[in-house]
Amino acid sequence: MPTITIDGKKVDCREGVPVLQAALEAGLEVPHYCYHPGLSIVASCRLCLMEMKMPNPQTKELEWAPRLFPSCQTPVRDGMEVRFESPAVQGNQQHVMEYYLVNHPLDCPVCDKAGECYLQDYSERFGHASSRMVEDKHKNPKKNIGSDTLLYQDRCVLCTRCVRFCDEIAGAGELRVVDRGNRCEIDVFPGVPLDNPLQGNVVDLCPVGALLDKGFLFRQRVWMLRHTPSVSPADSSGATIWIDHNDEGVHRCRPRFNERVNQWWISDEQRFAWRAYVRREHERLTLPRQRRGGETETVRWEDLPAILRFRFEQAARAPSGPQAPAPGSKVAAVLSPMMSCEEAWLLGRFIRSVAPQATLVLGHVPVVGQDRTFAKGFVIRAEKCPNRRGVERAMESLGGPNLALADFLKAAGEGKFAAAYVVGGYPESWVTPDMQKPLAKVEFLVVHDLFASPLSAAATIVIPGASWMEREGTFMNCDGLVQPFERAIVPLEGVKSDGQFFHELCGEPGLFRSRRTREKMAETMPEFASVFVPRQEPEYAH
Amino acid sequence: MSWQAVDRTRVPEEQLGPGLSEAVKEKIRAFFSRYPTKQAAVLPALHIAQDALGYVSLRAMKELAELLEIPPSKVMDVVTFYTHFWTHPKGRKTLLLCRSISCELLGAGKLKDAIRQRLGIGEHETTPDGEYSFMTEECLAACDHAPCLMVNEKMHKCVRPEDLERILADADNDRLDIPRSDLFDAP
Ligand code: SF4
Ligand code: FES
Ligand code: FES
Repeated sequence: MPTITIDGKKVDCREGVPVLQAALEAGLEVPHYCYHPGLSIVASCRLCLMEMKMPNPQTKELEWAPRLFPSCQTPVRDGMEVRFESPAVQGNQQHVMEYYLVNHPLDCPVCDKAGECYLQDYSERFGHASSRMVEDKHKNPKKNIGSDTLLYQDRCVLCTRCVRFCDEIAGAGELRVVDRGNRCEIDVFPGVPLDNPLQGNVVDLCPVGALLDKGFLFRQRVWMLRHTPSVSPADSSGATIWIDHNDEGVHRCRPRFNERVNQWWISDEQRFAWRAYVRREHERLTLPRQRRGGETETVRWEDLPAILRFRFEQAARAPSGPQAPAPGSKVAAVLSPMMSCEEAWLLGRFIRSVAPQATLVLGHVPVVGQDRTFAKGFVIRAEKCPNRRGVERAMESLGGPNLALADFLKAAGEGKFAAAYVVGGYPESWVTPDMQKPLAKVEFLVVHDLFASPLSAAATIVIPGASWMEREGTFMNCDGLVQPFERAIVPLEGVKSDGQFFHELCGEPGLFRSRRTREKMAETMPEFASVFVPRQEPEYAH
Repeated sequence: MSWQAVDRTRVPEEQLGPGLSEAVKEKIRAFFSRYPTKQAAVLPALHIAQDALGYVSLRAMKELAELLEIPPSKVMDVVTFYTHFWTHPKGRKTLLLCRSISCELLGAGKLKDAIRQRLGIGEHETTPDGEYSFMTEECLAACDHAPCLMVNEKMHKCVRPEDLERILADADNDRLDIPRSDLFDAP
């Protein structure tokens, strides 16, 4: 491990990283715009310059070189010495910051990025609070450049992060620097807009308020937002995200660095997945209901466990006869791949406790197209649910009779099941006539879902579910990585979070805590003894 | 909304301008074998396109991008980097005024005002009759004769504002004094 000296202090650094990265990891606040660890290095913003000791060409002695060097472009070498807190370095920072503000409109009061803008932060910290510019400013236009993205050219600092992202990560290369020198602008080719499926990342990457998300525009001041670490449910990759929310609900999702999965990026599908839940909020199920004859009535949450226990036990005791599926009883539970590992395990355990021979079924796994891999390895998975593997793992550890969904539906259609607990939780409509018909044959059908559907209409008991933003737990991604997500917002009024309900169903006292449930799961499934939490990265101007 | 955004996501068909003929495309393809990648041929390709059309239209950029197998934005990047390439039609004669330091010190500014006044056009603009276009350029490499003004291929040295009429009337303005390199004609 190389050791370098920054301002007289020894710093251990990772092999081969730039001095800037080492300094940031050591906790130094070094201003930088163009450097991003996920992109190529161009050293164009000139903010990160430091003094460095270099060998004198004549004497070969190490001495302080007369000029400043971009620390983002200089790899660490063992024994290297650099200065950051020095008058020369600070002078450079002040001058560069002043240039950045020459044509900037200083419109922070109406800028979406205010509060998380590195032009603001650096001006305050390294530059001047006021501008000496008395000449007319050059006004650049605002441009509509893509399906989800706007470009306020007047705020751009030309760091070219967005351009490099589109070239190197998304591979579509829609963004470009046009013109030259002081007339430079970022632009798309007219009529060829930014529309790659990773485009949202350019908004996070932009260190200033130039690139903006149309959906978030003028919605919230960022300092009003709280950030909750989560995992995206949009596909099976297990991309880690931040959910930004406040009392009014969720406002956006951003990537959370993850060295094993999504690095610094997320796909637009993952970024905007939350909107589907919000858009359909008026269709949400909000109270548990029970059917009596043709009518339905609400049931109190507290009464549900006893009802379910009684009805499932009854169905399990019924003479199995030739009608029942071979080794099992007439009870089944369909576990959705939208459930967390803990929820699947708890529900499985409950069903098995009332009907030891109950059949467990993995619910509908939505798949769209093929996995899509991008230039530097970012993958959008075809499997559009977060936890198929986790649910399968829980089913495996619970053992006993299992059926594939198609076989279960067939058997149900033949009247082989008297009671079934079906969990949905998908953001989109998922009930097809192929499911509806056979499930209508199940005498005691419990449907636990987010939205009203033909299935919930036919159910004996309907239990409202909570969205992933309203729950906590873990998802196991397509590579078997177990990652925790936290609850960002409280469930809709009347809704109990799925984990809490299953916890009570299993007769456990008090509050559901996914971690405590995992401790119990770990007795039979060692992979749940610990979860993967990505490394904390320094902030790279987002 | 209180502000207007320029819509870059769409472009009206008529703004795309003329395209490249098959012969021109063939000429460009003939350059590919000289370079390790097709993209590397972007500069000669742009010269050929501009020679053929008088400027590089959006449609030409798109067609070039297809030929060179790069996104059209990349072609636009190169076109706009060089003032030599025009993205809109150019007049028959292009006045190229030096804006570098020697010329500036010796009165290029006054000359610029005179040109603007005489022709009624600004930089990178063309007179309505299509006769003249005007642009400025960094050092024309004749600093010892500053200020300098080129009309098409002919260099006029030590130009004062009162010389302008005479220069505009110069019969040689259209002539190609310097034989052009055959680089772009015979690969
Ligand atoms: S738009 Fe943002 S990311 Fe792109 S060059 Fe400008 S400042 Fe950088
Ligand atoms: S020059 Fe080093 S971060 Fe931009
Ligand atoms: S400065 Fe004008 S020709 Fe060099």
